[in-house]
Amino acid sequence: MAATPSSEARAGLKLISPTAIYVILLLAVPLATVLVYSVMTGGRGIVSLPLTIDNYAQLWSKSVYGYIMFKSLMVALTVTFITVILAYPVAYFVSFHVKPDRKSLWLFLITIPFWTSYIIRVSLWFVILGYDGVLDKTLMGLGIMNTQLNFSSYGIPAIIFVLAHAYAPFAVLPIFVSLEKVDRSLLEAGQDLGESRWITFLRVTLPLSMPGVIAAALIVFIPTVGDYVTPKLVGDGKEPMIANFIETQLLKLQNFPQGSAFAVASMLMVGIVSVAFVLLNRRFIGGQK
Amino acid sequence: MTFSDDRPTMIEFKDVHKYYGDYHALRGINGTIKAGEFFSLLGPSGCGKTTLLRTIAGFEDISSGVIMIDGKDMAGVAANVRPTNMVFQSYAIFPHMSVAENVGFGLRKDPRSKEEKARAVAEALEMVGLKGYGNRAAHALSGGQRQRVALARALILKPKVLLLDEPLSALDKKMREHMQVELIKLQRQVGITFILVTHDQEEALVMSDRIAVMFEGEIAQLADPETLYRRPATKKVADFIGTMNFVPAEILSETGNAVEVDAKGLGRVMLDIAQAPAKAGESPVVGLRPETLTLLYDDQKPSERETDGVIDEVIYFGDMTYYDVYLGGTDVEVRLSMRNVPGRPVLDVGEKVRVAWSPSALVLFR
Amino acid sequence: MKAPWLRSFTLLYLVFLYSPIILLPIFAFNDSKVVAFPLTGFTLGWFREMFSDVNLRIAAKNSLIIALSVATLSTILGIFAARASVRYRFPGKAAIMGLIMLPLVLPEMIVAMALLVVLLSMGVPLSLFTVIIGQVLICTPFAVAILTSAFQSLDRSLEEAAMDLGETQWSTFRLIVLPLVMPGILSSFLICFTIAFDEFIVANFLGSGQPILSVYIFGQFRFPAKVPSMLALGTVLVCMSIILLGFAEYMRRRGIAKAGGKDTGGFL
Repeated sequence: MAATPSSEARAGLKLISPTAIYVILLLAVPLATVLVYSVMTGGRGIVSLPLTIDNYAQLWSKSVYGYIMFKSLMVALTVTFITVILAYPVAYFVSFHVKPDRKSLWLFLITIPFWTSYIIRVSLWFVILGYDGVLDKTLMGLGIMNTQLNFSSYGIPAIIFVLAHAYAPFAVLPIFVSLEKVDRSLLEAGQDLGESRWITFLRVTLPLSMPGVIAAALIVFIPTVGDYVTPKLVGDGKEPMIANFIETQLLKLQNFPQGSAFAVASMLMVGIVSVAFVLLNRRFIGGQK
Repeated sequence: MTFSDDRPTMIEFKDVHKYYGDYHALRGINGTIKAGEFFSLLGPSGCGKTTLLRTIAGFEDISSGVIMIDGKDMAGVAANVRPTNMVFQSYAIFPHMSVAENVGFGLRKDPRSKEEKARAVAEALEMVGLKGYGNRAAHALSGGQRQRVALARALILKPKVLLLDEPLSALDKKMREHMQVELIKLQRQVGITFILVTHDQEEALVMSDRIAVMFEGEIAQLADPETLYRRPATKKVADFIGTMNFVPAEILSETGNAVEVDAKGLGRVMLDIAQAPAKAGESPVVGLRPETLTLLYDDQKPSERETDGVIDEVIYFGDMTYYDVYLGGTDVEVRLSMRNVPGRPVLDVGEKVRVAWSPSALVLFR
Repeated sequence: MKAPWLRSFTLLYLVFLYSPIILLPIFAFNDSKVVAFPLTGFTLGWFREMFSDVNLRIAAKNSLIIALSVATLSTILGIFAARASVRYRFPGKAAIMGLIMLPLVLPEMIVAMALLVVLLSMGVPLSLFTVIIGQVLICTPFAVAILTSAFQSLDRSLEEAAMDLGETQWSTFRLIVLPLVMPGILSSFLICFTIAFDEFIVANFLGSGQPILSVYIFGQFRFPAKVPSMLALGTVLVCMSIILLGFAEYMRRRGIAKAGGKDTGGFL
């Protein structure tokens, strides 16, 4: 039996080694490469010495980089806000007003759209909202409108709408899980102490479910800030976000160092926002005690 | 207790230590467990009793020392080849197998024919009172039935030692008392050494031939139940097993076979050296069990000694009444228990009483 | 407690979630090249067109190869990692597990691009194989999460009991651990399969233009004439997803029931 620390450690390391080697070679090494590229000199398709911080200086001085990052950040934060606000009452309903044996069914209904092809869901919005789309043709066919609404061309609002729809189910589950953990007797205690149902919600349920809300925000924020498909399809592709811009830099312009620096900066931004979310969460968990 | 000392040794511990990193879980365990003995490891949670049991089973390595089972050093011997089998606290019934598959699990490499194995399984099930349950699904069993399956599964391999890790803790009170008796009967029937881990002192007293009381990784006392109850070696053991009153005392003189003490509220007493285990480090107190103190009614005469007292608290239990009494005008309070027999009234708080006691029931801790 | 407002809101929310998907079968069976209301008639033509599309068939075959390989590899890597993390303490565990789970918190584009840069600089030609390599990185965290909960719901003393009854470490794994976590393994396989089958970014950038279903769909939606047959394809895919996921959920629950646990939630 593996009982002494060293033999247990050896057994554990041996067991995890295939997975560890895989992620080190194919994830850690590539990420490190990007990091190294980002401080090298380069032009179209060339990466060479000397080491330089010019690429980062460029990010700082050329407004387009900052604009793309700021736009992506704003879009992702807006989407996060909308999805979480919409998801909370749904999670609350399933957790507090659905019979225990029916909860799984409701959750299943909510998560199914998430597991159906993302490409198809986003493309469908393109079909619905785009020029000559279902919405416009139906409205015009019925004589309600006589010009193309072409909502899809509305750029950023359209991107936000489609992303909020695509990632909506992500937010429900973590909030639901944290609401399930709320001890029901606490709520009775709150009302027993003379608080109204609404105040009890504000003072007991909401703070206790904050970790779930933060988790939901993270789960929505990370994929939306790096989304590639939606900005490409919706908004006529005129509003690129981080992922689209990385593609342009690395593949179209073949500027590896500059693209790498942008990718590293984006990762940093995502990291900082995520850590901020986590710290916020800590505060709530700490405040609870 | 009918246990005789001349039986051969089954398990021997020689200075067994176990560390988890910096944590010293077992601190020099010594002692022997005899063949055919019902032995209990008793102590509060975290005292190392389960760790000790798991070192016997081979689930934990020991950091130093020797564990011998049936005369063989167990160092480097894996759990699957040791002559021990275990009944786990959670019973560890394999949920994807039937009752018969569970019981017959250990017979997989047994060279016997299929029919013979099936017969062995049926016999084992009958022995634990589950005749005809073989085809049931394991997850459909009640707690008591699971435990019986776990017992049958372990006993079918005819181990030299059966290890039981808090086997009754998951059962309700009635079921637990019932299983205590059944386990004793089963042990007599199969004659195997049973080692039981428990935190329930009553359970240990009821079931065991001998008990090792453990605190903080050490055996505080290893003795038969009666000795443990009547002559606890330390104040801590006395406090853990049953209820004991402690009365501050002063040691007046000591000779080779007697100690004279002045116990507050009781007066001067001469104690046999057997009543004064040689343990240092505590300020001297004498201990008395509640049932060794008696209230004297009306003109009853004490059999040995008598002290005045005032009732401070009355706790009525139906068959018994507990009285908390201040002794002899002091602030020393003792608890005593009286059986409620007809014609014996329950007394009130504040009443003056006479308390009879016997010097031979005292234990000195110093 | 009744909550009519919450209930209506939740139902509206579901309508919002499902509204584009509902259009799939409606227009897939609608006898018109123009995707708009009012409907004009019933047809199976779009399905016929879809099934006769040779490129689509190649793309579907490639996607199947990729998804099966990815699901198998991710689940195997997931078993190693989940078992090790649940069962053993070892130095560097937090760092290794963090690295394995990292793709969950990194934009997929960055994972894909980092891998692409290295593959290009090493001169590795892009192919279905490189897509598989990349998607395994994306899917393994999901496999690890599912399998970790499967291994966690396994009572440690079951393994000890088997060892106690004479089995070796390997035969214990085969007789006790594997059967009890099998539902978790199946559910991990199905979910990885679904993710890999739908995955777009890695397929697009590490596939060098090989026909892969998600990439193919992405391209076809730009041509209005192709849209109805894509809707037919979407209908088929959504039905497949629902069946697979229903099956995965069923296996997951059976696993929990088998190990004697209590159901605590859905996916993730």
